[in-house]
Amino acid sequence: MKMVNALVLAGYGLNCDNETAYALELAGASASRVHINSLIDGSVTLDNFQIMVFVGGFSWGDDHGAGVIQAVRLKTNIGDKILEFVDKGNLVLGICNGFQTLVNMGLLPGFKGNYKTRSIALTFNDCGNFRDDWVMLKVNPLSPCVFTKGFDTLELPVRHGERSEVRGQRSEVRFDKIELPIRHGEGKFYSDKDIIQRLTKNNQVVIQYAMPDGNPAEGKFPFNPNGSINDIAGICDPTGRIFGLMPHPEAFNHWTNHPDWTRDKEKIKRRGGAINTGATAGIRMFQNGVDFICSR
Amino acid sequence: MPYRLEIALNQDLIDAEGEGIRRKAFDYFGLKLSCVRTINALTIDADLTADQLKTIQKEIFTNPVTQTSSYNSLLIDFDWIIWVGFRPGVKDNPGSTAVEAVEDILGIKFNPGEAIYTSKRYCLQGKGLTAEDVDKIAGELLANNIIQRCKIYSKRNWDNKIGTGIIIPKVRLDHKPVVMPIPIDTDETLKRISDERNLALNPNDIPTIRAYFFDSKVQAERALVGLAEPTDVELEYISQARSDHCNHNTFQGLFHYQDLSTGYAEVEDNIFETCIKQPTLSLKEKKPWVVSVLWDNAGAGQFDDEHYYVITGETHNSPSNMEAYGGAITGIVGVYRDPMGTGKGAKLIMGGYGYCVGLRDYNGDLIPHLHPRRLLDGVIEGVRDGGNKSGIPTTFGQLIFHHGYMGKSLVFVTAVGIMPSQIKGEPAQQKTTSPGDLVIMCGGRVGKDGIHGVTASSEVFSESTPAGHVQIGDPYTQKKMHDFILEARDQGLIRFITDNGGGGLSSSVGESARFSNGCEIQLEKVPLKYKGLDQWEIWISESQERMTLAIRQEDLDCFLTLSKKHAVESTVIGKYTDSGKLHITHNGKTCAYINLDLLSAGFPQWEFDAHWQEPGQRGLFEPVIREPRDYEVLLTDILSRPNICSREWISRQYDHEVQGTSVIKPLVGAGRDVNSDASVIRPVLDSEKGLAFAQALLPTYSKIDAYHMTSCTIDEAVRRLIAVGADLDAIGGVDNFCWPNIQYHPEDNPDGRFKAAQLVRSCRALRDICLEYGIPLLSGKDSMYVDGYLAGRYGETHKVSALETIQFSTISVIDDINKCITMDSKIPGDLVYILGETGNELGGSEYYEHYGYVGLNVPQVHARQFARLYRALGSAIEKELVASAHGIYRGGLGVHLTMVAIGGDLGMKVDLALVPACAPHADRASILSNRIDTILFSESAGRFIVTINPENRKIFEDIFKGLPCSCIGVITDKSGDLIISDSKSKKKNKTIISIPVKDLKSAWKKPFGDLI
Repeated sequence: MKMVNALVLAGYGLNCDNETAYALELAGASASRVHINSLIDGSVTLDNFQIMVFVGGFSWGDDHGAGVIQAVRLKTNIGDKILEFVDKGNLVLGICNGFQTLVNMGLLPGFKGNYKTRSIALTFNDCGNFRDDWVMLKVNPLSPCVFTKGFDTLELPVRHGERSEVRGQRSEVRFDKIELPIRHGEGKFYSDKDIIQRLTKNNQVVIQYAMPDGNPAEGKFPFNPNGSINDIAGICDPTGRIFGLMPHPEAFNHWTNHPDWTRDKEKIKRRGGAINTGATAGIRMFQNGVDFICSR
Repeated sequence: MPYRLEIALNQDLIDAEGEGIRRKAFDYFGLKLSCVRTINALTIDADLTADQLKTIQKEIFTNPVTQTSSYNSLLIDFDWIIWVGFRPGVKDNPGSTAVEAVEDILGIKFNPGEAIYTSKRYCLQGKGLTAEDVDKIAGELLANNIIQRCKIYSKRNWDNKIGTGIIIPKVRLDHKPVVMPIPIDTDETLKRISDERNLALNPNDIPTIRAYFFDSKVQAERALVGLAEPTDVELEYISQARSDHCNHNTFQGLFHYQDLSTGYAEVEDNIFETCIKQPTLSLKEKKPWVVSVLWDNAGAGQFDDEHYYVITGETHNSPSNMEAYGGAITGIVGVYRDPMGTGKGAKLIMGGYGYCVGLRDYNGDLIPHLHPRRLLDGVIEGVRDGGNKSGIPTTFGQLIFHHGYMGKSLVFVTAVGIMPSQIKGEPAQQKTTSPGDLVIMCGGRVGKDGIHGVTASSEVFSESTPAGHVQIGDPYTQKKMHDFILEARDQGLIRFITDNGGGGLSSSVGESARFSNGCEIQLEKVPLKYKGLDQWEIWISESQERMTLAIRQEDLDCFLTLSKKHAVESTVIGKYTDSGKLHITHNGKTCAYINLDLLSAGFPQWEFDAHWQEPGQRGLFEPVIREPRDYEVLLTDILSRPNICSREWISRQYDHEVQGTSVIKPLVGAGRDVNSDASVIRPVLDSEKGLAFAQALLPTYSKIDAYHMTSCTIDEAVRRLIAVGADLDAIGGVDNFCWPNIQYHPEDNPDGRFKAAQLVRSCRALRDICLEYGIPLLSGKDSMYVDGYLAGRYGETHKVSALETIQFSTISVIDDINKCITMDSKIPGDLVYILGETGNELGGSEYYEHYGYVGLNVPQVHARQFARLYRALGSAIEKELVASAHGIYRGGLGVHLTMVAIGGDLGMKVDLALVPACAPHADRASILSNRIDTILFSESAGRFIVTINPENRKIFEDIFKGLPCSCIGVITDKSGDLIISDSKSKKKNKTIISIPVKDLKSAWKKPFGDLI
């Protein structure tokens, strides 16, 4: 298997670099945390990497709009290099503050190869506050997104709540929905109607906030935690190689990250089942990225 | 020429901030606004061209999808306008990042003095809104006049062409800094100077200070460097170093303790030594996992072979009472510097909080500077931004309401870090300075902010407390510094590191110089926010986000290169020596020259009279209550009490999962909304080991006896860890005392001697319980003046003292996180057990408080007996026999059975006749002990509710042989009822309570359920 090198941005108030690098390593990549300034001054170049991750955090304190200053700084200094990186068929992942940065740089939505136009905003949550909670996400099986490929038929080890009992299965369940934590104050996905329609039509809407039963949240708080239009939690570009999402897959890197794990464990134990502590839904996303690079 | 750019969300978008203000205006003042829109303004005080202005407007400050902006005033409908901006010198974090962004995109550098300032303009609409209403909203909701100013415009006096005008809050100090010699010819003179300069010198210290400066050898040495009389720099330095905040004079004092009931008198000499230091050192001997205690910024314990964890706790009370948001964010960001400055530097991994405030809906006659509701909102938000923006999970917290905290609210903040055990082959927990090492100041710059913060917190809060010590912490700047320091540490560049907190450089440099035994500081090298600071101000300023480090000369280039990469400012401000002197110069001229050992020798011990009277003799007694008939309404009402009900809204706005380490979250259960007993994280991601953390606060018991308040608080914090699966032998503690003034004064503090006795008793409990449980005190702090003077209705003022309060934090390594458990019931059919004995201990309980009583029978901790039970439970959890475990805390069995049921979203059926009761105490009325209200609401310590798989019954019960353990019932179906009965009742109907669990949940969530 060939080595997959992932670059994880760090510095200037970003704060998910360690666990994102860890998640990538679990997924089989070799991950390097690289300070934004090291990339800008050229001491580290993108040439040796195949995956670039814009991580969560509060870059520049989130002042003047989350992700705005990071986007300006990267675009001004190394915008062309990032476009080159994308052109080579590599992968870009933006999580939370990273997603906010991708839309402000214009890397998303990337209609017709235009990676420079700001047409989407991630703005203040309707609830008016920062919120940390786990959300149910419905995955669009038709999306070209590399990172969620096969999630509709994926077997995930950690069960989610009561549902598996209903299906009468033991420790594994098929999913077209997953649970991940959100942690943000500015995650409301907003754009004009045309853009939203176009995203939907292109299947660029990758994940949407859902009710516990998997039905669309339809804006209902706290299932849709921020008032996002059409419950949109994450989108990709038309190639599926650039993916931005508000939830944090890297924060679901161990089965005990899931809020129900002590409940699930007890139930599985009573049925005499063994607890599968293998790769979580979060890690599977990163594995998809690594697999894509390996197989291209 | 300055410019003002106004930015607003497009009208069709929800303005969440405006909505929040609209809601609060109604909730707080009953004012009905129809709409509030927020406009962010940037006042750009820099020479930019029209093109440049356009670029930054378009590229940085206006989101094309959601915002509109203009260099003229935006036209937005309003009936009234309120403009709010910072006062000069107040930290404007978004203003600084705006400068960074503008410099970056334009490729320019701002000239000295050029800056960007942020402010806000609120457009209010509402029918019949009066000038008075708007004044109220401005003053009591939007602006705090200590740090902000505001302007109000009606429709009539607003001119959109002029707008708010250009207001530049630039600090201008037309002052040439000068070092002042200060004659101290008599003790009275020095006392007067102390009062005038707000030095807060203790009168007992004054002769010692004078004797030093009049010593002939000292005078001869000073003459050689051109000094005679003490300078202002020197006196300010001594004042800082001798303050109670830095020096813990109270705890090291001499207490003349007397029990007035028996006449028995004894002397307690230095309770820090006898109750904290000695017990901890003796435990350290027995516990090899205790790595470093009692000397550094935080204590350290062993996590595994390669890592140590570090922990400390702080309070930030006085500033939070002046400016809640600023005080609290400064507090949390400040305590995070302690682990960073421990050993050679630790990475931050977890934070906790504890708030003690007045009643949220207080509507009495007293007028605190900030209403408790506003204060609480501000404090919650301050810790939210401080923690979230630092990228550190806030995993545990508490909130207590009590009238006594109207005088001074308490804001506890706790920080946990982790470091490798070795750095380049050297022990990471050790650090020292050596002659020749460079003194580096790193992080933020120095301004007038925070001057006399330490001395202000060592005094009772009054209307004349200077507001200058209020700051706004900057987690962004500190996060950059944190990342930089860790990288520098791992490269082996750091010889010594400590934070600049209370006392600023005077304290950090002063303390670090004791290792090498001397230093020379060139004050002119210290980077300033603006010109015009006096030398003494530079020396003691508490400007935040700064660390002081020692590095070797040969490492300087490497260190500065790394600093630049992380966009952190680092400056060499002097060097360490072995001269025995603290030698400060300014442009070559000496302004301070002091023997470093002055502060460690010769100051007289503070003395206190401490008079104790048993509670019964103070007039406390058990209230006479005939048994209630309606237990269902009673339980429901108690669940809705402010100190019992759900506080979910606080936990949800705190990021408790960043770093990807979360194992047991602050909220657990089927609905993910019930408080867990403790939090657990997995700080080393590729390890299955964890750290469990919990805290407890039980100040109400101080009304009866601070000894038992302290014991119960420690016991609760310990039990919380046991409940998630921690091992008693691995628990370490942190004590944070907040005490009202204990110095007796016939008019100002007539009960000072009693409060002093309470402190002595509290410390004795700390010693006794920690020794019996075997808990070393890894860290601790004290805040000794939690009193305030509040204006009343008639122009009079009232002294309001907080309850004697201790927050106790516990931390423990968990060997295997996969075995941790949570408190929620899991599966129908599981058996419900009570571990521990329930006694007639309603004194100080929530139940008595519900009726307005205090009572007498305060819960007591029988640590040796409890420890056996805790070990047994630990062993049952380790064997994976336990489905859920939950301690019984404030509110007693009734409240906590409810919590277990709500957590599982399952019914429960229990028989109170089976609850293990403790033998009645000889001196207590045993006749009450069988009463249902006693069993349901007694707050006896040492108890748990445990549920288990019925198949494990025998093996579980075997573990508890000879210990109080009784099966009282069973878990029933999903969404069932909580059914509590008493099989021994003589009544026909044995059922006492039968309520759907969902109804109990809504009662518990009702008071604050709408808050987000």
